[in-house]
Order: sequence, then C-alpha cells, then structure tokens
Amino acid sequence: MLVVICIIGAYAYYRQLRYGLVVTAMRDYVSWGIYISNFVFFVAISLVGSLITAILRLSNVKWSTPLTRIAEIIAVSAIVMASLIIIVDMGSPEKFYNLFLYGRIQSPIMWDVIVITTYFFISCILLYLPLLPDLKILIRHKDKTGSGLNKLYRFQGSFWKGTKEQFKISNKSINILCILIIPVAFSIHTVTSWLFATTYRPGWDSTNFGAYFISGAFLVGAGGVVVAMYVFRRYYKLEKYITELHFDMMAKVTVLLALVYLYFNVNEYLVPAFKMKKSEEAHLSNLFSGEFSLMFWFAILVGMIFPIIILLFKKGRKPLPAFITGIMVVVGAWFKRYLFVTPTLLHPFMPMEDVPLSYKHYFPSWEEWAIAMGSLAACLLIITFFARIYPIIPIEETIMEQNEELEHAHEEV
Amino acid sequence: MGCNCGNNGGCSSNSRRDFLSTGLLATLAAAGCSTDNNPFVPDEKPALTGEKVRLLSMDGEVIEMDRAFLKPVPDLPRVSNAEERKGIAGKKFVMVIDLARCKNLKKCQTACNHAHQLNPGQNWIKVLSMEDNENSSKFWQPTTCMHCDEPPCVKVCPVDATFQRQDGIVLIDSDRCIGCRFCMAACPYSVRVFNWEENTTIEPVVAEQHYSCETSLPQKVGTVSKCDFCPDMARKGELPHCVSACPNGVFFFGDLNEDTVTNGAETFRFSELIKDKAGYRLLEDLGTKPSVYYLPPVNRNFPYENGLETQAETDSLNSTK
Amino acid sequence: MKNLNMPMKKYKYNLVLSSVLLLMAWSVDVVAQGKAAADKPIFKLSYFNVNNSTQYLVFESLMRTEHSVLPQIGKEYEIFLGDTSALVAKIITDKHGKANAVIPPSLKQAWEASSQHIFLVKEGDKELISDYTINKAKITIDTTTADTVHSITATVQTLKDGKWVPAADVEMKLGIKRLGGILPAGDDETLTTDSSGTVTTELKKLNLPGDSKGNYLLMAQVEDNDLYGNIIVEKSVPWGTVPHYNADFFKERHLWSTGRHAPLWLVSMALFIMITVWGTLIYLVFQIVKIKKLGVNNTA
Repeated sequence: MLVVICIIGAYAYYRQLRYGLVVTAMRDYVSWGIYISNFVFFVAISLVGSLITAILRLSNVKWSTPLTRIAEIIAVSAIVMASLIIIVDMGSPEKFYNLFLYGRIQSPIMWDVIVITTYFFISCILLYLPLLPDLKILIRHKDKTGSGLNKLYRFQGSFWKGTKEQFKISNKSINILCILIIPVAFSIHTVTSWLFATTYRPGWDSTNFGAYFISGAFLVGAGGVVVAMYVFRRYYKLEKYITELHFDMMAKVTVLLALVYLYFNVNEYLVPAFKMKKSEEAHLSNLFSGEFSLMFWFAILVGMIFPIIILLFKKGRKPLPAFITGIMVVVGAWFKRYLFVTPTLLHPFMPMEDVPLSYKHYFPSWEEWAIAMGSLAACLLIITFFARIYPIIPIEETIMEQNEELEHAHEEV
Repeated sequence: MGCNCGNNGGCSSNSRRDFLSTGLLATLAAAGCSTDNNPFVPDEKPALTGEKVRLLSMDGEVIEMDRAFLKPVPDLPRVSNAEERKGIAGKKFVMVIDLARCKNLKKCQTACNHAHQLNPGQNWIKVLSMEDNENSSKFWQPTTCMHCDEPPCVKVCPVDATFQRQDGIVLIDSDRCIGCRFCMAACPYSVRVFNWEENTTIEPVVAEQHYSCETSLPQKVGTVSKCDFCPDMARKGELPHCVSACPNGVFFFGDLNEDTVTNGAETFRFSELIKDKAGYRLLEDLGTKPSVYYLPPVNRNFPYENGLETQAETDSLNSTK
Repeated sequence: MKNLNMPMKKYKYNLVLSSVLLLMAWSVDVVAQGKAAADKPIFKLSYFNVNNSTQYLVFESLMRTEHSVLPQIGKEYEIFLGDTSALVAKIITDKHGKANAVIPPSLKQAWEASSQHIFLVKEGDKELISDYTINKAKITIDTTTADTVHSITATVQTLKDGKWVPAADVEMKLGIKRLGGILPAGDDETLTTDSSGTVTTELKKLNLPGDSKGNYLLMAQVEDNDLYGNIIVEKSVPWGTVPHYNADFFKERHLWSTGRHAPLWLVSMALFIMITVWGTLIYLVFQIVKIKKLGVNNTA
C-alpha cells in the first residue's frame, strides 16, 4: 500500500515538472508550503539517530541498546527523504548543480546542504559499524536469509571476524562517531531553523529558533521511536527483547522532552504575545484565535499536553497507550511544522494587495498532498526495506549485554 | 582608447563638439572603454552602434557621425553576462516616489507589465493602500523593488542568482536561479514574484533570445523575478517605463552621483528634495538601506477616494483568478 | 383649483420626460460619434537641432483606439523638403512607431536657399503632414563668474534675410544636463527670452557633482517650439565637484557579496568546522578499512 501512495506521489511530481509549480497552491505570498514543512519534519525526525544511538549510548544507558538500530534506520531514511523533498520544492531542479558550481557560503541554504550531507554520511557509518557483528551472524544463517541477501551481507561484512582488535577499533570508532554526531545533529536542525530565523518576518524573527527546533526534533524523534518499537515488536514478535521496561523508559524520555519543548513553546509564543508588536499582532491572534487556531491548539494539546499527562502514569507507559501517545506526538509535530511555515507567510509587512485572490490564502492542492504523503510513504518504505534486510535489534550487542547482566547477577549471588 | 568618432576623415573638425552633440543621450559607460586606470569612473563616451550616417548640418556643411547620436536611441548591442553583473560604472541609481500625487491609476503597473511581458497577476509594481495609524489618512503607495544597499534577498541566495551591482541595482539571473524561493521569504517588502507557470504573454521573438539580466527577458518558468529599475533604459539614457508612464509624475528617477532625480518633466536636486519634503524610506529600522525614497502625502493633489474606483476594478479582476 | 393643478402637473411631467429623452438621445449620439471617431491615427513630426550643427527629424506614427494609444510598427513613409521633388528620406517606423531621418547632403542647395523650410510627410500618395514649418535658429550659451556667483546667459537667434537676429518670447529650459532631463540652474523650471533674445539665470545649484574631473554640461533646450522645433545646445563648465566613486566595490567582502567574497570570519569558521568534521569521518573510514584488513589477515 505504501508503494501505491508513492506511485501517486510520483505521478503528481511528474505533473509538477511538466506544468511548473503552478499545480501547487503556493503563490507569491505563501511561497513555501507543505513541501518545506515536510522538509523540516523529516530533518526533525532524523535527529532521533543522534538521540537514541549517541546520547543514550554515551551515557551508558543499557536499556537503549535494542533500540539503536531502529533509531539509525529512521534517521537515515528521514535524512534521505529530506534531501529529496527539498529538490521537489525547487522551481528549477534541473539547475541543481549550480549549488555546487556557484554556491555562496553566506547562504543558510548552503549551510543546510553541507550539514545534511555530513549528517547523512555519519548516520550511514553509525548504522554500518554496529551492524558488522550482526552481519557475521547473518552470514552464518544463510538458510534463513536466502542466497541473495547472503551475497549482500558477505560483500558488506565478511571481513568481520569478531576478534579483540576488531572490536577495539570498532568500539572506539563508534564512540568517536557518537561524540561527533551530537554537534552535527544539533547543527543540522539549528541550520534548518535558521532558514526561517535569518528573515525579518514576524513569527520567524526570533532568537529562540535554534533551541526551539532542536527540542521539538528530539521530541518527535522519541515519539517516532516509540511508534516504531511497538510496530516492530508486534510484527516480528520481539516481546522478549523490546520489553515493557523499554516502553516505560522511552515514555519517560518522551515526557521529559515534551516538557522541554513545551517550555520553549511558552517562550516562543507567550513573550511576543505580551508585547503584541504591530507586525506580530495579526500573526499571533491568527494562531491563538483566528484562522489557524484549531490547528495550533490541536498541535499543542495533542502533540504535547495530552502525551505528558498520559505518560506520567505508569499505566500510560504500557506498550499500547505509549504507542498511541507516540502517534499523537508525531501527528501533532507534523501540524506544528505546518504552523511554522504558512501563517507567517500570510502576514507580511506590506499588505497583500494588487494580487489575484488566490494569493491571499493557502490550502495545499491535491498534487501537493500526493507528493507530501508520497514522501512520508517513501520514508516508511525505506524504513521497512532496511528492517527487512537487517536485524531490527542489534543481535550481538543484545547478547553481550544479556551475558553481562547474567555475570553481574552471578557475582551478586 | 581614444575618440571613436575621430578616426574617419569625414568627421567634423571639432571632434570634442561631436562628443557633446550626443543630443539627449546621457553619459553612458561603454564597456571597457575607459581612458583612466580607474574602471569605476564613468566614461562619458556613449556606446556606439558603428553605423555611420552622412548628413547636412544646419549651416550647410556635410558631416558624418554615428547613428547612436540621433534620437530615438537605437537598441544598443547586447551586454555580456559578466558586464550585466558588474553594472554601470560611476552611477548609483535612486528613485523618489511622491505620495502626494498618486491617484492609483496603475498606469505604472500597466506599462511595467507590458514592457517586461509579465503574466497577468504578476505585478512588479504594487500600488498598496496604506494607512499609518487610525487617525492619519489613507494614501496610495506604489511599491517597487527597493534595490537595497544591504539586500537581505542577496544574502540568502545559495547560487548567486540574485546579485547587487556597483550601480546599486539588484538583478536576477534566471539562468542561474534554482527556484528555491528563499529570497522571496527574506524580502520584507514582498516585492518578488515567482514564475509559477509558463509565460503566456511573451512575444515569440523575445522568447527565442538568450536571457538578459538587464531586460529580464525572456522570463523562465520556475524562477523568481522582480522590478529591475530598467537598467537597459538607463544605458540608453532613458528613464524606466513606470517613470515615463505615470501621468501625474509620481515617480522620480536619477543618479545619486549626479544628485538629481527627474520624472521626465520636472527635475529636482535629490538632496534638496529629500530634505525639503522630509523624504523617508520604508521599513528603515530593518537596516536594509533601500534606494527608494518616499515623499509624504501632504498637500495632496487628489483625495484618497479618487483611487477607489480603479481599486474596485482591480479587485473584481483579481477575484476571478 | 384642483382641476387647474392637474393639467399643470401633466404639462410639467411631459416637459421633464421629453427633456430627459432628448438628453438621452443626445448622449447616445455623442457616444456613437465617439465610437466612430475611436480609431484615429496620430502623426507627429519633430525637428531637432543639436549644438547648432547636427540636425535630424523624428517622425512618430500612432493609432488612438478607445482604450489606448498604440504605435504603428513597420510602416513606410516619405519625408520631403518643400515639395515632393526633394525627398529627404524614406523611413520605416520601429517597434515604438518612431523613425528618424537626416537631411541628405544632396539637398544642400535647397537647404541654404532659404531660412524657412516646410517639411511634408506622405504615405504613398496620401499627404499626412503638409505644413511643418521650421525657421533656422541657434542658441549660444555664455557664462560669467562674479565673486563666487556663476551666471549663465543663453541667446536665441533666428536667421532672417541672411542675418542672425534675436528671437524673443522663446521658452526654454536652462540648466545642467542630467540623466533623463535638465536640472534648472536657477529657481524657475523654464525661462522665456526677452526682446533681445536672451535669458539670464544665476546658478543656484552650488556644489553639484560633476564627472570624474569636476566638469558638467550646461544645457539649453527649446522644446517643441512652433517656429524653431527643438534646439539643444551644450557647454562644458568646470563648476562641479568630483563625486565619490567606490573603487573597492568588487573587492569588499560582505554577507551580500558574491560567493567568492564572503566575509573572512564566515569562510574561516565554515572551513574549520568542515575540515574538523570531515577529517574525523575520513579517519573513521580508514578505521573501517583497518578492520577489514585485520579480518582478511586473520583468515590468512
């Protein structure tokens, strides 16, 4: 079914290439629409890689080990889709190479291109290195995986023997990567937020944007991981490895991140509302009680407040409620990204006049929806593809950990 | 390089006089034709077509001169992209818009759209209905691109498709533009328009030509465009289309290095005009340093209501799009 | 009384009704006439005399429709001097409906024969303009400086019976030549010559920027005069200041400069970050290669 959505999206893109961006509902005022909000959404989700894999791993949090693979896969797929959706948004993608021939380092878009490429590369390596021990196991079980996949595994990791030296180098490299990925992940979303914050517009002209976007990204990443955990647990029957404890801990992390994000939201909206500058007045009242109020309160309540309340209770942190809450977080986050982009563009400094009526409103056209949904479906497709060919739980690491726990238990006895 | 005219025998004796007999051609900077070592000093020698014409002078003498000295000014040879990016040396273009005279006739808009063959709905000049506060009166404000000295649009362009020239004009190179629309988000005056679809009004002859940044023709789909201060007209010594088209003389155009602006009929010293009438710029506190000054709507020629009729027409036209 | 009022009322009513109908009929008639006269061609011939030497004619052909005035492009016309035997030029209008023509050297004798000439314009056999009359005239600009006050005097003379005599009541602009127009030297936008054919003005625009050497051109312009056409004369004077030219424009580094001239602080920051991060990544790739080598060696 995901493939079907992707195909519809591809057809819509063909129409866009043929007729120009006029097939979208974007016009001179709302010149950025759901393509850009999808882009921000994808970049946000891709931060999950650094959160789970890097931060939790570096702080020696043991329960996070089974989740690292899921996190990295989500990160890689999201970053790939982010790059693709930004090309879709371009009016003249055939001149894409101009970015490299004539690029200006002064432009925040240039920074974004550089950081996204770097992050993609890091995430790939971070997916690959811990995968090596598992590849060894997979190669052994040729009967279960089939010969085609077996060839792939051999090509990718037959040199891994599991020796002490190899492990030493691998562990050191993974640690270096984990340290490196944190500033890169921070910068990727900060730079994306600067696409907005480097303009003068009310709603975007904020010094808060870097931290605001990053905290939002961490939140949606955590929510995404909870959802993925549940889905894979059910589908692959991994109850023994992704236990209720994992849901409990991830849910607690989500609550913490949601509280942080709520704090930044308060800063972002309450403080300008206190001042009600003329340029921001229309924008803010539109969000609080006007055209976008439904979406705004939905995003705040469903995306942050309800999840916090639900997950504060132990019963709320059980797998199924946590999964539903995770979905709420992700959906709320998508609408929040939409609210970043469109309302500000509808409140420019100069009044919107002398333009066709269609310029003064924005509701995405079917082509835009098709492409946006297509990109989301494609992201899920990539995740599913990776999940099919690689073990969703790092086997070797989990085994090692379980052995360590047993040793500890023995020692105590 | 010396006098372009003096190399042929048929030229009248006083070659300097022939330089001066440029008629109404303004000082044009010919590309690379500078006697000084400083390439930023404007060259007073006009760009020549190379076509000579023999004519009878008023005192009955036979003289020969380049066709470029006769009005109407012929179309000059195309300038290279590199020259278009550099701009006209020694000039710093500036525009003054007198809000006391504007009646919302939108003749400026019509002339500009026609000259640049824009799609209907794409207006490089927008005549906005403005009101400072509830107690002050409403007025009509024609808004062109401000050609800022510190342009936020140029800062954010990732491929150098929009650039600032030495004469202060900010242009767009549609061959370079990738259509990311970051410049549109960055511009606080909302003067940029996007080519969402193919241009339907363009003449076939123009559509075949190679894109020129100075004429902004032919427009390409998927790129940004905006008011360009008509640098092709300035090279010929003529005023931009909006300036000539306004029947009320609202637009004044000129060169800061000449300290003069004119609307074709009236000419004023720029520094005197701005000081006298308290000229101001839009969104001054954003620090963009725009090149378009506005004279406040005092001692209005027409009341605001005179412009409402055109507005109603425009609104009804726009509601169908 | 009532009976009397009724016929009066009826009479008044009829009067009003009939006058309204008459008014409507008249306005319809006017509109009909307007529509019939809608597509009216407009022809304009202008004579230019530049610096008392160069002279040429500019012909403009337009068509006035109901909504606008459109240029007539690519049409052929013929201009004659005096009568149809002396052809000045055959012209074709350009995309603005304009064309220019010079007086050819072959008409030298005819030109010198008189001080007044009539130009004709014909389209094929149809005579469009038959009475465009030009009298030969010239302007001289003189300047004097007393203390720090500059005075400019322009004298208009017309040729009469072989002698140059002053031309009075000629309206002209006198000032400094600028882009697109003339900046009046004094306070008045236009000046009119007195009985001796002169206008004098004091230069009120002090410290006006000139060219790179401090010179600018004074310009006297007579525009669309019934007798003399257009006369333009220029004279260079060294009264200007040298404006400031920014010679470093293309070398300056700004956030809004082209990519190669980014501010140094930005370039160095970006390079430093990229080298550090990618350096580490390349090192890690080498580590992977090392792992591979270890693995390969082990089997051997």
